Order: sequence, then C-alpha cells, then structure tokens
Amino acid sequence: MTQTIVPDISFRAVSKRYGEVRAVDRVDLDLPKGSFVSLLGPSGCGKTTCLRMMAGFEQPSEGEVFIRGDNVTGVPAYKRPVNMVFQHYALFPHLNVADNVSYGLRQRSPKPPREAVAKAVDEALAMVRLQGYGQRRTWELSGGQQQRVALARALINRPAVLLLDEPLAALDRKLRHDMQIELQNLQRNVGITFLLVTHDQEEALSMSDRVCIMKDGRLVQTGTPRELYDEPVNGYVADFVGKSNFFAGIAGNARSGLIDVALADGMKATGRASRSTVSPEAGEAVLVSVRPEQIRLAAAETDLPNQVAFRTQAKVLNRIFLGEQTEYLVAHEKLGEFMVRSPRQGNQALAFEIGDRVAVGWPPDAALILAKD
Amino acid sequence: MADDKIITPQKFIEELRRFQKGSVTRRHFLGVTGLGVATAVLGGAMPGLKPRKAYAALSGTVNLTTWPNYHNQENLDAFTKKTGVTINMNVFGSNEEMLAKLQAGSTGWDVFVPTNYTISTYKGLDLIEPLDLKLLPNYDVASQDQRFTSEGTIDGTVYAVPKNWGTTGFVINTKNVTQNPTSWKEFWDLTKGPLSGRVMVHDYQLTTIGNALKYFGYSFNSNDEKQLAEAEKLMLEAKPHLFAINSDYQPSMRNGDAWVSVAWTGDATQLHRDLPEIQYVLGKEGGEIWTDYFAIPKGAANKDAAYALIDWLLTPEINAKEVQAHGYPSTDARTNKLVSKEMLENPILYPAKDLLTNLEFGAAATLTNPLRAEIMARFKSA
Amino acid sequence: MPQLAPISRSKTVTALLVAPAGLFFFFLLVLPLIVVVIYSFGARADAGGYAPAFTLDNYANLPARGQAFFNTLTLAPLGTLLTALFAYPLAYFLAVKASPKSRTLLLVLVIVPFWTSQLLRYYAWIMILGSKGIPSWLAYLGISDLRIINTPWAVLIGAVYGFLPLMVLPIYVSLEKLDKRLLEASADLGANSWRSFLQVTLPLSLPGVATGSMLVFILLMGEYILPQLLGGGKVFFIGNALVDLFLQSRNWPFGAAVSTALVAIMFVTIVIYMRFVLSRGDVRRAALV
Ligand SMILES: Nc1ncnc2c1ncn2[C@@H]1O[C@H](COP(=O)(O)OP(=O)(O)OP(=O)(O)O)[C@@H](O)[C@H]1O
Ligand SMILES: [Mg+2]
Repeated sequence: MTQTIVPDISFRAVSKRYGEVRAVDRVDLDLPKGSFVSLLGPSGCGKTTCLRMMAGFEQPSEGEVFIRGDNVTGVPAYKRPVNMVFQHYALFPHLNVADNVSYGLRQRSPKPPREAVAKAVDEALAMVRLQGYGQRRTWELSGGQQQRVALARALINRPAVLLLDEPLAALDRKLRHDMQIELQNLQRNVGITFLLVTHDQEEALSMSDRVCIMKDGRLVQTGTPRELYDEPVNGYVADFVGKSNFFAGIAGNARSGLIDVALADGMKATGRASRSTVSPEAGEAVLVSVRPEQIRLAAAETDLPNQVAFRTQAKVLNRIFLGEQTEYLVAHEKLGEFMVRSPRQGNQALAFEIGDRVAVGWPPDAALILAKD
Repeated sequence: MADDKIITPQKFIEELRRFQKGSVTRRHFLGVTGLGVATAVLGGAMPGLKPRKAYAALSGTVNLTTWPNYHNQENLDAFTKKTGVTINMNVFGSNEEMLAKLQAGSTGWDVFVPTNYTISTYKGLDLIEPLDLKLLPNYDVASQDQRFTSEGTIDGTVYAVPKNWGTTGFVINTKNVTQNPTSWKEFWDLTKGPLSGRVMVHDYQLTTIGNALKYFGYSFNSNDEKQLAEAEKLMLEAKPHLFAINSDYQPSMRNGDAWVSVAWTGDATQLHRDLPEIQYVLGKEGGEIWTDYFAIPKGAANKDAAYALIDWLLTPEINAKEVQAHGYPSTDARTNKLVSKEMLENPILYPAKDLLTNLEFGAAATLTNPLRAEIMARFKSA
Repeated sequence: MPQLAPISRSKTVTALLVAPAGLFFFFLLVLPLIVVVIYSFGARADAGGYAPAFTLDNYANLPARGQAFFNTLTLAPLGTLLTALFAYPLAYFLAVKASPKSRTLLLVLVIVPFWTSQLLRYYAWIMILGSKGIPSWLAYLGISDLRIINTPWAVLIGAVYGFLPLMVLPIYVSLEKLDKRLLEASADLGANSWRSFLQVTLPLSLPGVATGSMLVFILLMGEYILPQLLGGGKVFFIGNALVDLFLQSRNWPFGAAVSTALVAIMFVTIVIYMRFVLSRGDVRRAALV
C-alpha cells in the first residue's frame, strides 16, 4: 500500500479579481503537512487575499482550493478546519480570556462537556505560557499577551492549518524577536502546519521551512530559505531575499555550466545559471547578481585569490564598520557603485580608507546569471 | 363600496388641512396648550422665572384667548386693518385650563372667553377686571336676552359681556343610527347596547357626569354624593362600550368611526352643514345651556386694544358674520336681525322652546367640586 | 494677585465650565423638584391650586391613581420592548446591510418624521388605525370588526412609531462601530452567521439598546398626548392623571404627590437598570473601544 502525502492546503490555479484588479493571479501552491511556510512579498502583492481564500472569507474568481484533499471551493469559513490569527488579534472584547479561547470549542455540536472545555482551555493557555490568565479581561493584557491569547484561541481547535496574517507587525522589535522564537517552538510542539504572512524577509527566512515569494498577485518562487538565497529564479527574488549587486549584460554562450556575459563597455564576466530555473539563451538580456559578501577586495589585483576570475579596479566611496565585517561602497567607472562586505582580517580592522583605489573581483560560481524578472 | 370604506388620500389630506386651519374642537389642542400651561404652573411657582410682560402693548398686539372655531377670520383681519393692532389668537381646551393658567399668573392675555359658570370664580380670585361699558359703545344691554347675560354682572358690576350662547346635546349619524333617540336615557342605553363601540363622550367632567346624572333624572349640577355614585356606576358600565372619551369628536364623527357623540351647538352646526345626515339632539330630560363671555384679565397689558376688539366683535354687523361662521346663536337681538333666515330657523341653533325649558346653566360649584374630578379620573383610568 | 497659583486657576476654569450646566440643572431641575415636593405636602385651596399645609393625605391618596400607575408601568416597558424589537432590525440593516451610499439617505428618512409636528403625525395615525384604515383592509382578509384605535394597542403602535428614531440611532451607532473583523474571527472559529450574531453582534450592540431603551422608557413614562389621541382618552397614563390634576381639577398638592411618586419610580427603575448595564463592564468597555 503506497501512501501519498496529501498537502494540508493546495491552491490550483487560483485567481481573485476585484473589478479590474487581479489581487491573486493563477497561483498554484501546496502546504506540506507539518511545515512552517511563509508567504513573503511587498505590500499589495496579494498575500492577505490568499490567506482569506484559505480561511473562506473570500472565494476565488477562478481555480480551486483543497484542504487535506477535500475541495473546499465555495465552502463558508465556519465550515473549514483552518484557523486564523488576525493582525490586530480581533479578540472578543465582551469575553474574558478563557471564553475567548474556548469560543471555537463552544461552536461545535454536540457541545463538548464543560469540564472538557475547561481542561482544553487550561492546556491551550499553558501552551502559550498564560496559565492562570483565564479570568482576565482581554484589554488588561499587553500586546504580546493578547497575541498569545489569539494563538491559543486558534490552536485549541487543532486546525489543519494555522493562518497567521502579519501577527507580529504590531509588536516592538524585542518582543517580535521573542515571539518569533516562541512561534517556531510552538509549531514544532503542536505539529500543525503554519502559514505565516509577512513582508519582513528576515522573519520569513529565519522562521520557515519554506518561503513563497509573491509579486503582483503571482507566486514567483517557492523554496527553502537557502534555495531562495542561493538559487533565486530571477533578480526580483535575489533582491528581495538578502542584498545583492546587479550588473546588466547580454548572455553569451554557455560552456560546462558557466555562462559568459557581455557587460557595459566591452567588459566580460562569467557566472553560472540558477539551479531553480533554465539557463538564459544566448543573446538574452540578463542580470549578473553578486552577493556583497562574495566580492573580494585587495590592495592590488595580484593580491586577489586565484579563483577570482573577474578582476577590476574601483574606488572606496564609503565604509561602515559592522564588527566582524566591514561594508564598503565602491565605485567603478563603468559598472557604477556596488556593495562589498569583507570579513575582518587579523588585527587590520579597517583595511581600506575612503578614497583608496582597490582591486575587486569574484569567482565565477559567485555570480548568478539571472533573467531580469 | 370599497371607496366608501377605505380612506382616500384626498380625504386624508382634507382632514389634515382641517387640523392645520384650526378647524377642530377644543380638545385637539390639549396637547399643545397643556404643555404651555404646565410650564406656566411651574413658572408661576417661582417668581424669578416669570416671563417679562408688557411687550404686547409696545408691539401693538392684542392677545386673544378663546376656543377653536370660534371666530370669523375675516372679522379679525378687518380689525387689524382698521386699527393696526395685530391679533395673537390662542385657543384653549377647557375652562379649567384657562383658570389654571390665570391662577398661575403672567398669561399675557388681553381678552379671553370664559363660560358663564367660571366668572364668579375669577371674580372671587380677583383675576378679572371690571369692565368700563363706556369703552364698549357697540354693546347694548337693552338688546341682550337677559336669560344669557346675568352671570357677567356680579354685585352690580359688569365683569364680562356675552359673546354667544349654546347648548350641550348629542349628535347622531342617522345613516348608521336608526333608533332615533331623544333622551339621555336612550343615549346611555344605546351606548351599552346596540351602539357599543360607536359613542363618544366629552373628556370633561361637567358635561359627562352631568349627562349621566340626567339618565336618572337628577340635576345636571347635582353634587349629591349618592346621585354622583349612581352616575359613576353608569359611566363605568358604559366605559368599555365607548369609542372614545374625547372632547374632540368632530374628526371621528366625520370619518364615520363614531356614530354618536355628546356635542356643543356650534360643532353640531358645522357637522350638519358638511354632513346633513348628522343631526343634533337635546335630551328631553334636559342638560346644559351656557353662555360664553368676553372678559379682560387683571393686569392685561394692552387694555385699550382689548376694549377695541371686544367692541368690534360685538358690533351687530360684525357679530352676525361671527355667528354665520361659528354656528352658535347670539344673545343680541340686533345681531339676530342680521343673521340669515336659514340660520334663525335652524333648530340646532334655536331648539324648540319646550326643549330649552328643561336645560340648566352649569354652576360654579359643579366645575370645582373635587368629588366630581375624582369620579372623572376613576372613569378615565378604569 | 499676579502670582495666582496654577491650581486655583484651573479650579476657576473648571467652575466656569461647569457653571452653565450647573445653573441650568439647579434652576430648571432641582429647584422645581423641591417646589413640587413641598407642594406635595400641602392642601388644595378652595378654588383649586395650593394652600400651605403639612399633611400626608396626598400620599395616602395615591392608590386613587393606582390604575394610572399600573397602566403606565405596564405599557411603558412593553412599548419600549416593542420599539426595541422593531428598531433593532432597522438599525442592523442601516449599519450592516445598506450600501454606504444609500445609508445617509436612509438615516435621514428615519429622522424626517421628526420634522413635522408630533400632533399632526398622531392625527394621521388616528385615521390609519381608524375603521376606514387598516381594519378595513383586514376586513378583506376576513378579519372583521377588529378595533385598533382607542385601545392600548393603538397606544403601543403609536409609541413604536413615535419613538423609533430615538431607538434606531443609538443602536445604529453601536452597530456601526462594531469591528467587522470580530465577525470574521467568529466565523473562523466555526460560528455560522446566526450564532455570530447572537454571540458577538448582539452583546456588543447592547449598550446602544440600553441607551435607546432608557430614552424611550423615560419619555413613555411621562407621555400623555399619545394615550389621549390614540387611546381616545380611554387609556389613562400618569401623564394624563397629572394633566387632569393640574389643569382640570387644579388639585396641585395631589398632582405634586403623584409627580413625586412618578419621579421616585423612574429614579429607582433607572438606577436598577443602570446598575445592571454598568455591571456588564465588558459590554461598556466594548462600547468604548
Ligand atoms: N476587498 C477588496 N476590494 C478591492 N480590492 C481589494 C480588496 N482586497 C484587496 N484588494 C486589492 O488586492 C490587492 C492585494 O491586496 P492584499 O490585501 O492581498 O495585499 P497584501 O499582500 O496583503 O498587502 P499588505 O502587505 O499591505 O497587507 C491590492 O491591490 C488591494 O488593493
Ligand atoms: Mg495584508
């Protein structure tokens, strides 16, 4: 007997239109069981709309939604086994903490017995470390505590998927960091699939097993944080996930996995295609993407390591001391300005001064040749 | 048939127009005026809150307090045209309300229209001015029917001059009422029997209790406790069968909800004029006859204008036009000569002599008897 | 003088701010009430009015108006309840279902009747409820000889009609500011729309219902025009008893005693009611959020 693992939620060519606006455009998506997935993208790209179609607050204009293999397209929110944590928590102001948390259980028919509800509430509150807060009024709680009540209120129902729409956006930096860790632990402990909407790329990369990147209603790339960082499908993803330097050029011929690119003013560079997508054709306009930490700096070109194939000269415009690293902004007369991050070298904390002429370069496998979009 | 039963939009608007014109009976205005009096009562209790008087004189306005449907607007307009004094008319619901307001003080009235049985009370409370007949050249004592004018004069001093007289009987819609009642006994018996739900009585203890007393043949003015107890019993028996207890009976009579109602002469004239099937009956056991007077309250601000107005309205040519409009008979022989023959022969205004002989004038004590007030309250709240 | 302490200055300001309302209340509420209470221990002057005395007779005599108290104390709460029952769906429609564009227009339509005289509107109802109005239509449906006008039912219908806007507006306000996300949260947690209404919308709009009910109840308790016109004088409220006592029989001391009793009953009712409403601190808080 073979057992195919059914995803907790699947989108099949789901679109959502509001008049002329295509808020979500032909999205295919699978949330594997027990995973922690982030939906990442700039404001207005359709993240919330996706979430609301999963919860059942909106119905797709086209396409189908599956929850654990069941087609739930058209099924109203109250009949779906998913729960949501709202951005501003949406706790019921007329109910105390315990009644908020037990709300979902009390909607079931037949109604579970009182003692069972009380026990479940205690467990749920313990899970979010709010033991003994049951009789409190929700408005007496701090923002972080309210956040945890909202979590307990959703998790007590043991949903197939927990949907979180920017749950941490309203918290201050320190609290947000604590909650990120807490969320991760919680997810591991309960084993429920979490879908986190965020436009904070650091949050997405640090917390999730998988990240889905959206742009203008479309899903651009899905993968592990490492895949997105190392193998972006295009310049948009490379730029969104971490910092990168981009140099425009025209792709040349590919040979043994490497591609030559003609840069401005007859300069040439070599790099590799992303493993997430097909190699660009010869003659195609491309971007050469190089992460700042992969660019090497030296006093003279001869000081650069051997594997550095692309070498040139540039001038230091600015530098920022970051402790273990120093970030330089350098200017190249043809390639323009770009960013370099150098690790600290011995005691020589700040190797170069502003105005110094330096040698710069990178090895071929540090340069990704990407389609523009 | 359908048109006959359902109120048409036109009819509805007509009714509203009537109301807006003020062509409605006394009780209509209880709502509005009642409020005014309530404020006056409290205001009178607290000297600091009394409104400023005397601006009436400065603005050349005369404040006339009277009953609804009681004047010919043409006459009032002509007065203003002649003298330049504008008339500010104020209509009231009952004699008690007038008394209550005058008792509370600071009415700002210049002329008012009390009914015969209240004048001695006003005099006793020192609320009205003695009248200087020299200032009323058009009033001629000699041409007055003495039967209707005696109560305006107390101890030889004239406090009020008669406006018109009238009776209190009942109107019946002969389209619906075939029994042809002629007595108060029949009135009450029909109420409790075949006409259940179709009869109205006044929200006025004087007439309602008085006419219940007539059922037993007692005096309209009886203050005898035993007799009053019998009247109360009759009233309480009849109450569930009444259509309404309301002195504003014209609308219900006109739209056919009510078929019978206790009524005053002028209302009967007006109803009959528009709906000939409505007839006026004076109970043969008797009932009430009354006179309304013009009087000037103590402290009237614009006395000169007050005299001028009274004199104007008592001028026979003018008074005849008044009678033509309100449908109450005049006390002045000179006026009667000028009233149309049709009116003079109208039995509603001038009932047969034998019917008049049994009628009684209301007495001051009848109005102020606390027991009667309590009986009325018990009757209404039962 | 120049170095006026800030505290005393702010006290002066407070005093100035409170003064108009304070004077208003003192002269138009407290003082008249004191006069009324003093009168209630007096005697009726022979020709009516007030004669100074100290007697408890007027209070001992209150049972003489027991029926009026009974009528008022049954019909006023019933009228309030009916008004709330009619007003709630209307307010709900306006706040939740109506499109924002038509909402303003509809709200204005709710208030428009207030622009004409109350008396005129009740006269219209006399005709609508009279035998040629609604009862004649019902006759076509086989319900004959139904009498509405001049019954307590007519008074209740008039109360619902007359006071509807006073009830609709506060409920509308409390429904309109209700956070729609709470309803999504409720649906998300498995409640269908009816249960969401019962468990979220209704409790959170109770402050509006409480405010509206209070307004309507107080006004109904003092009503006298409505029972006079639509009750045909056969439905007798305390207000009618007072009108008669002050304006007809001019028994001011007894009228004052009845007034005092009415004020006392209203005061106690309102205190109990407010206690109940305010004790639901969650609802009150929710109303503020
Ligand atoms: N109810 C609606 N009616 C019309 N347009 C809508 C509606 N909801 C969303 N949109 C539009 O759909 C697009 C996607 O909106 P959505 O809320 O999904 O973005 P988002 O990715 O969640 O943005 P943010 O990060 O700012 O929350 C936007 O252009 C938005 O204006
Ligand atoms: Mg969003």
